[in-house]
Amino acid sequence: MAEIQLRGIEKLFDGVRVLESLDLTVHDGEFVVLLGPSGCGKTTALRIVAGLETPTAGEVHIGGRDVTRLSPRERDVAMVFQSYALYPHMSVADNIGYPLRIRGVPAPERARAVARVAHSLEVGHLLNRKPRQLSGGQRQRIALARAIIREPAAFLMDEPLSNLDAKLRVSMRGEIRRLQQRLDATTVYVTHDQAEAMTMADRVCLISNGVIQQFAPPQELFDFPANRFVAGFVGNPPMNVLDIRLDPDRQAVVVAGAAIPLGDRYAACAAAAVEQLGIRARELTLTAPDEPTTLPGSVYVVEPLGDETYVEVLIGETRVTVRADRGWTAPLGAPVGVRIDPANACFFDPSGRTVVHRVGEGRPPPKEE
Amino acid sequence: MAAATTPGTLGRTLRGAGLDRVLPYLMLGPAIFLVLGVVVYPLIEGLRSSTGFFRFGRMVRSVGLDNYRQAFADPAFGEALLTTARFVFLAVTIETVLGLGLALLLAREGRFVRRIRATLILPMIVTPVVVGIVFRLIYASDVGMLASVAHLFGLNSPQILSNGDSAFWGLVILDVWEWTPLLFLILLAGIQSLPVEPFEAARVDGAGAWRTFVDHTLPLLRPTILVAVTLRAIEALTTFDQVYVLTRGGPGTSTQLISIYGYQTFFQFQQVGYAAAMLFIVALVVILASGFAVGLMRSRGR
Repeated sequence: MAEIQLRGIEKLFDGVRVLESLDLTVHDGEFVVLLGPSGCGKTTALRIVAGLETPTAGEVHIGGRDVTRLSPRERDVAMVFQSYALYPHMSVADNIGYPLRIRGVPAPERARAVARVAHSLEVGHLLNRKPRQLSGGQRQRIALARAIIREPAAFLMDEPLSNLDAKLRVSMRGEIRRLQQRLDATTVYVTHDQAEAMTMADRVCLISNGVIQQFAPPQELFDFPANRFVAGFVGNPPMNVLDIRLDPDRQAVVVAGAAIPLGDRYAACAAAAVEQLGIRARELTLTAPDEPTTLPGSVYVVEPLGDETYVEVLIGETRVTVRADRGWTAPLGAPVGVRIDPANACFFDPSGRTVVHRVGEGRPPPKEE
Repeated sequence: MAAATTPGTLGRTLRGAGLDRVLPYLMLGPAIFLVLGVVVYPLIEGLRSSTGFFRFGRMVRSVGLDNYRQAFADPAFGEALLTTARFVFLAVTIETVLGLGLALLLAREGRFVRRIRATLILPMIVTPVVVGIVFRLIYASDVGMLASVAHLFGLNSPQILSNGDSAFWGLVILDVWEWTPLLFLILLAGIQSLPVEPFEAARVDGAGAWRTFVDHTLPLLRPTILVAVTLRAIEALTTFDQVYVLTRGGPGTSTQLISIYGYQTFFQFQQVGYAAAMLFIVALVVILASGFAVGLMRSRGR
């Protein structure tokens, strides 16, 4: 296994910039997820690591070796494709054993390796079938088996779960993570599903418009988003964002007419002229409508999830999501109060950058550039 | 009911249910009539001719299967069949290999490539008779193009059409020139419709260009190759115009394909029944061979 480094990677397709000076280091044995909306350049970045695309500028290093100009076969990486990319004319056994066949491993040894890998992925009974006779989940396992059979320097996975149904996706998530930890395999995993990124990654690299928005462990992404985009992309439901006004007299921010005192964080907010605050649904509390220092709102919709209830509340023109206890209910349009604990809020400057993070346990906020 | 205003319902109400049963056949009528007239009638008439004895273009009496017996006893017929088989095998093989090579070379996109592709198709749209004339002019030992080139280098004129072997190969080369584009076109379409992902997977798995070709391109392309080869082979079996113009089957019988032999038997020797019998045998062989090829595609293609 090896470390992967992208240095100043830039990619243009027909003059359109897809990636912009991407710098990224994946440590030996680390599971890094490239996360972002479709078209953000994450798959292109992965294909550049694989050698299926050549960067317009920048360098790719794998295991300390500059592989920028090398073909995929010289990079010693294994890839799992979104469409599985099994060889349709070969049996499952031949598919799994193909990387070994290319490397001239003799047939008996190859058969043993195939049997071992197939067994560990519970597809041993499928070896004589053809890919088209398999279900999506089985094909996925075959594709994984083909990737792990020759211990490569790194695994590259391009949305490997997005063609599976929701239930299978969740269980495969855990399996891939276990497999990766058992093999201690350097892995780059591309997805647009933030839940996949949160549950699987050691670190998540959130990309938008070809630029890294934040590269941090999932919890840090969740608690200390670097900007409004990260806040809105990570977490389900996404972070609430509210327009605010600064009130120097009371050292407070005014949200929808209600003043919320900030105390010693006011100075930093004022210095950056913050315009919005972000806060998670679980940091908000529903109260009776006329409680002091609460935001006045009305119930927009109630979404019971069984274990908890998410209530969307209309505050002025903005909808915010509040987490309530199980069984909480109210008629639509009913007036409610929403209490904000400002310690758990972060504040965005006019460009959307987070200038003041929430107060709290965990890591200190990531340093500003 | 409101539906009564639609034409179908109207027709049903007015003319009763009987029309519904007849209408489909009425609609198919012209097409069926055409097929009967153009395909089935000549076929039956040909089959009838093949069992008859003709004088001055008229069947004078039926001879049963005598014409077929004559065919199997006729060494010239056997030789013509063999020449045809040799011609079809060589021409189609060379065309397939060349067509596949060109298709692989030109499968990528680009303005230059598109222009070359358009140029490559030209031979196919030239009338076969014209192709025959052009190659006759190329091969001619007195004023031919090859002769002029040979003279330029101080060599003697090559006697291509006056020598049996070289005339046969001259014919094969003509056919290759004319029909490689067809194979090229079909195989190009096949290559361009191959899935991309398995090839990317093969690259990452470590396969080089040759391994990729042998392990993936050929197996995935096999159904297309089979279709192309079958199509071309069936057509090559009936090659006539070019041979007629180029050599008329000569020198000797070196380029006497079955179509030429049949033509001569019919028109020059006026043995209508015998010619019909021979060509029916050929038709039978073609039908069996193509049936076999289709079966092969069905079983291996999936």
